[in-house]
Amino acid sequence: MLKIEEIREIIALIDQSSINEFTYETEGTSVSLKKSSEPTVAQHEKIIAPIDHTQVATPTVQQPSANGEQTEQPVVESEVAYDYEIVSPMVGTLYAASSPEKDAFVSQGSKVTNDTVVCIVEAMKLFNEIEAEVTGEIVEVLVEDGELVEYGQPLFRVKKN
Amino acid sequence: MESTRNKLIELLANNQDDYISGQVLSDKLKISRSGIWKHMKELEKDGYTIEGKSKKGYRILDYPDKLSENTLQWGLNTKWIGKTIIHKQSIPSTQIIAHQVALEGASHGTVVIADEQTMGKGRMNRHWHSGKGKGIWLSILVRPDILPYQAPQLTLLTATVLADVLRTCTTVAPLIKWPNDILINNKKTAGILTEMQAEQDRIQYVVIGIGLNVNQTKSDMPEDIGHRATSLQMETNKHWQLRELVQNILTTFENTYDSYMENGFPEIKDKWESFGFKIGESISIKTMRDKWDATFLGIAADGALLTKATDGTTKKLYSAEIDWFKEGEN
Repeated sequence: MLKIEEIREIIALIDQSSINEFTYETEGTSVSLKKSSEPTVAQHEKIIAPIDHTQVATPTVQQPSANGEQTEQPVVESEVAYDYEIVSPMVGTLYAASSPEKDAFVSQGSKVTNDTVVCIVEAMKLFNEIEAEVTGEIVEVLVEDGELVEYGQPLFRVKKN
Repeated sequence: MESTRNKLIELLANNQDDYISGQVLSDKLKISRSGIWKHMKELEKDGYTIEGKSKKGYRILDYPDKLSENTLQWGLNTKWIGKTIIHKQSIPSTQIIAHQVALEGASHGTVVIADEQTMGKGRMNRHWHSGKGKGIWLSILVRPDILPYQAPQLTLLTATVLADVLRTCTTVAPLIKWPNDILINNKKTAGILTEMQAEQDRIQYVVIGIGLNVNQTKSDMPEDIGHRATSLQMETNKHWQLRELVQNILTTFENTYDSYMENGFPEIKDKWESFGFKIGESISIKTMRDKWDATFLGIAADGALLTKATDGTTKKLYSAEIDWFKEGEN
C-alpha cells in the first residue's frame, strides 16, 4: 500500500502537472485524486481513510514506477478521445442552428452520419451547410454560434464508429 | 409530349412574321395534323394567342405574361441554363424544391420558379414576402467546378447580373449593397440567398435564390419593411412583364457565369464596384464581439469587404452585420 509520504509526493507531482484526475488501484486498494478549486488537502483526507483499512500487502518498491506510469495515463484520459475533426471549408460566420430560435444542429454527444448537417458557415451571404462526412459521435464542440471561423479551422471533434 | 410542345413553340417563335403550315409542322415534329391541332389548343390554354388560317397555317400572335415552362423557354436562347424549368404556381419556397431536385441529381442550370411563395426564405429563415405574380421568385441550380471557399463569389456575381439586367431593361439606376442586395433609391428591390452543399474540396451543388420585387404597389408592401423595400413598379410607375425580365436574368446569368469560369473574378469585381453602394463612405460594422466605424474602400480580389478603420488600419471582412444607413438596423 501507499505510504503517506508517497501520497504526498504524488499529490505534489500532480499539482505541478496538467493532470486533473489520478486513479490508482491495486489488490483492493484504490486511490483517487481529483484537482478542483477545493484545497487538495480535503481530497487528501478522503484518500487516507480507505488506505487505513487496507492490509499491508503491496510492496512499496513498485510504487514509484506505478507512479510514473500513472502520471501519463490520465493525460490521455483528460483529453477527449476523437479520431476525426470536422473543419471549416471557408472563412465566415458559424451558425450553430438554422435560425436563432431553433436548437443547435448538433451538440456534444450527438450521433452523426455522413450527411448530418452540423452547422452553417456563411461568407458573403453564401450559406454552406457543413455535413459531418463521417459516422460517429460528436465528442467536442470547438466553436460558438456566431463566431468567425477561418479556412481549415477545426469545428467539431468526432469519435468515429 | 413536353419536348414536342417545346419544339412546336420554337418553330412558331422562329416564324413569327409568317404562317407555318400544319403540314410542315406535322413533318418536322413527326406527329399527325390533328396532333398539332391538339397542341395548339393546349398552348391557347397556357395563354398563347395562336392564329390558324386555312391554307396558310399557324402563327403566334401573342404570348402570355403568365409564367410557365413553355412561356419561359420560348425564345430563351441559352446553352445550359433553363433547359429544365420547374414552374409552380404556389410553393413554400423555390429554394426547398431546388435542394430536393439537386439531391435527386437535377442538372446544372436547372431553374425553379414560382408565381407565389408562401414561405419565401430570406437569410437565417427570415421571411421573404413573395406575393402572387408580384415579383420574380426563382432559384438557379449550378454545379460549379471551383473550390468551396471561392463559391461566395457567386453571390456577388449574381448581384451584378441583376443590376445589369435592371440597368439595361428598365429605367432605374440600381446599386449593390455588399455583398448582394439590390437597391433602388436606397431601398431594397432584390435579395439573393445562396446555399451550398459541399465537401471539403468539392462542391456538390449551389442553389442561388433570387427574389426581385417587380409589380408590387405601396399597399402590397408589409408595413414593417415599407420604408426599406421597393419594387420596380413603385420606382417607375409602370407595370413590368415578368417573363421578359426572367429571360434576361437567365441569359445574362449564363454569360456572366461562363465568363467567370473562364476568366476568374477580376471582371466581376470591376463590374460589382461600378454598382457598389457607399464605396468611399463611412459605415458601421458589427461582429459578435466588436462594433466600429470604418470607410468602405471597395471589394478585395476575392470579393471580401475592404474597410479602413479610423486608426488607418485596413481590414478584410467576409461576414459581418453592417449598418449601411446608420439607423441601428441592417
